[in-house]
Amino acid sequence: MSRWAKFLMAVLLGAAAGLFYGWVVNPVEYVDIAPESLREDYKTDYVLMVGEAYQAEHDLGLAVRRLALLGSSAPSDIVANALSYGLQHEYAYQDLSVLQLLGEALLTWNPNQEVPTP
Amino acid sequence: MKNDRRGSWYLLTGAVLGVALGLIYSWVINPVEYVDAPPYALRADFKDEYRALVAASYLYSNDLLRAEDRLAQLKDDETAQTVAMQAQRALAEGHPEGEVRALGILAMALSDSMLPLASSVASTQKTINTPTTSASTSTPIIQQPTASPDISQQATPAQKSTTPALQLTDTAEPASTATSIPTQEAAYLLKETKLLCNLDQTEPMIQVEVQDTAGEPVPSIELVVTWDVGEDRFYTGLKPELSLGYADFLMTPGVVYSLRLADGGQTVKDLTAAECLSDDGSRYWGSWMLTFIQP
Repeated sequence: MSRWAKFLMAVLLGAAAGLFYGWVVNPVEYVDIAPESLREDYKTDYVLMVGEAYQAEHDLGLAVRRLALLGSSAPSDIVANALSYGLQHEYAYQDLSVLQLLGEALLTWNPNQEVPTP
Repeated sequence: MKNDRRGSWYLLTGAVLGVALGLIYSWVINPVEYVDAPPYALRADFKDEYRALVAASYLYSNDLLRAEDRLAQLKDDETAQTVAMQAQRALAEGHPEGEVRALGILAMALSDSMLPLASSVASTQKTINTPTTSASTSTPIIQQPTASPDISQQATPAQKSTTPALQLTDTAEPASTATSIPTQEAAYLLKETKLLCNLDQTEPMIQVEVQDTAGEPVPSIELVVTWDVGEDRFYTGLKPELSLGYADFLMTPGVVYSLRLADGGQTVKDLTAAECLSDDGSRYWGSWMLTFIQP
């Protein structure tokens, strides 16, 4: 085996070791994540909480601001995704109803009146 | 020999170069992406948002078990205290009243769930480490407290209609009528005033404990203490390790204070630092313990 082949082999072995260390042993840790990085079930529960809070507070602007933490998608889309997830995973009827009511309320929401501030 | 040594060095160089490339790729170019993160990985301010949202949704559902499950996802060490402290911060930082109220209600519900109802009052008194006033160990020098001893008898029906610090019923509230939630109609009345003599606590203090109708401590109550040239405000719940309904204020000897709840109710006047006498004849400062309770 030529010297270059050995050198290349050493580079590849080193890279493999580096990847193993960087991805498995000591991967980048995100300890200060935003809600949009939450797992799907946690996101859905977050949206459900927004819906429950909306039922108590009747503040649609506040609900939109809370939903804005879940990403740049339209609030109605975020709720629709949550509702879809809830249907797939057989959430309780009351929870689905809360999501449905929030989604319906958002249909009347005018984004020109309030700008969500994440 | 010379060629062999050079060979081992270039292999080592290749390995180091490879490790460096691997780390650059795995840490910078294509790092592990956390797209399915749990709530406990949230940034601190997002955790606060999360708790506030849990509290707001609790107002609607009144489902404490679900609220506890949601809060458990944050992996806080002391859930009730964390919520209570956030309520305090929210109050101090001027957050919306609804948010403060929701956090306060949830904090109370969580603390209620941790305490057996039958012994909750006794537990509260125990946790605030009430100093002993046994005559065998120490004696108050002032036998007649300067705080109005009959102030509870001065309460009139009109005073009862004053608004408590936490107005919990004028907006959305839980569906059930939990007895631990103060109502707007019932102000807090002074139940007891006593001088505490404790050799472990020799600074003159005004200590306040605010309890609801069930005898449970109430956090987030704003208290106003005034004297001839000044005024200060403090809140219950800032020392949750003692009690969620506890607050204290350090007195200056010789100054006469008055204390009241910020949103009205009774005013306790003529509070001054009072001395206690220990067994060996030495004198030290005692503390006034005022207990307010919702009738």
